[in-house]
Amino acid sequence: MLENYFPVFVFILIGIAFGIAPIVIGLLVAPHRPDSEKLSPYECGFEAFEDARMKFDVRYYLIAIIFILFDLEVAFLLPWATIFKEIVQTESVKWFGFAEMLVFIAILVVGYVYAWAKGALDWE
Amino acid sequence: MEFKTFVFYFLSAILVFASLRVVTSRNPVHAALYLVLAFFTASGVWMLLQAEFLAISLVLIYVGAVMVLFLFVVMMLDINIDRLREGFWSYLPLGSIIALLMVAEMALVLGGSYFDLFENAVPQTGIAESNVQAIGRLMFTEYVYPFELASVILLVGIVAAVALTQREKRKTKAVSPSRQVFVKAKDRVRVLQMPSEPRD
Repeated sequence: MLENYFPVFVFILIGIAFGIAPIVIGLLVAPHRPDSEKLSPYECGFEAFEDARMKFDVRYYLIAIIFILFDLEVAFLLPWATIFKEIVQTESVKWFGFAEMLVFIAILVVGYVYAWAKGALDWE
Repeated sequence: MEFKTFVFYFLSAILVFASLRVVTSRNPVHAALYLVLAFFTASGVWMLLQAEFLAISLVLIYVGAVMVLFLFVVMMLDINIDRLREGFWSYLPLGSIIALLMVAEMALVLGGSYFDLFENAVPQTGIAESNVQAIGRLMFTEYVYPFELASVILLVGIVAAVALTQREKRKTKAVSPSRQVFVKAKDRVRVLQMPSEPRD
């Protein structure tokens, strides 16, 4: 029933309020005396000396992609974990349900070992 | 049900608007942010269908991980926004063919139940049962092979990512401390015994 999601809705509202309220309070309460120095963009206290758009090492993306792939794997683990008790208690699928997740993880471990062996995980 | 219908149309309107802006906005960063909005509202629509597992995983995986990567790439890459528009007309035929194919696929999937393509309709879970458990039960009984295939696809993704980004031996000037401490002076310095040469 949709009414059961009401607490989630309340949480979302509170979360949004927590994000917006400090900004609004800051706008209302804080002194606002802008000058050109304050409004100019700066980078850790000194002038920005180059464009933010530049060539990045591809390894940043590689780490991010590997993270996403293993993140996806967790999405598959969760439904399995919720019915794990049921699987173990059912005699007919007891080992089958366990083994298929092991196969799933084993296939991904191959990728993990490959990435590790290829040196994709070290940074030097 | 009146409120539910209202929420559905509200979310759908935002979703359609955001999706349109994804393809029409000139700035790639804005497009990526609109895609985040589209994912959020799509997750809201799924929540209305009581598919909370899908909704949460959409937010966690797509918004939390995939879109962060997209935004990172789009914000950091040195792309010239004006030059992105170049070649629009030359890419148009290929692009429209792919777009038509995708529209046809989506139409078949979405309209499949009208054309009697599927044997049975979308199964409804019981009210008392958890959605995640229902997905898990189906995934580990009826759809075992697609489930294992998903793992293979993830493996292909990992291998492809590593293979594409891995180049030949990196030309870095980094030193390995563990090898450095074993270096002795005689490995590096050669002392020559030389007789002094008389000046002519």
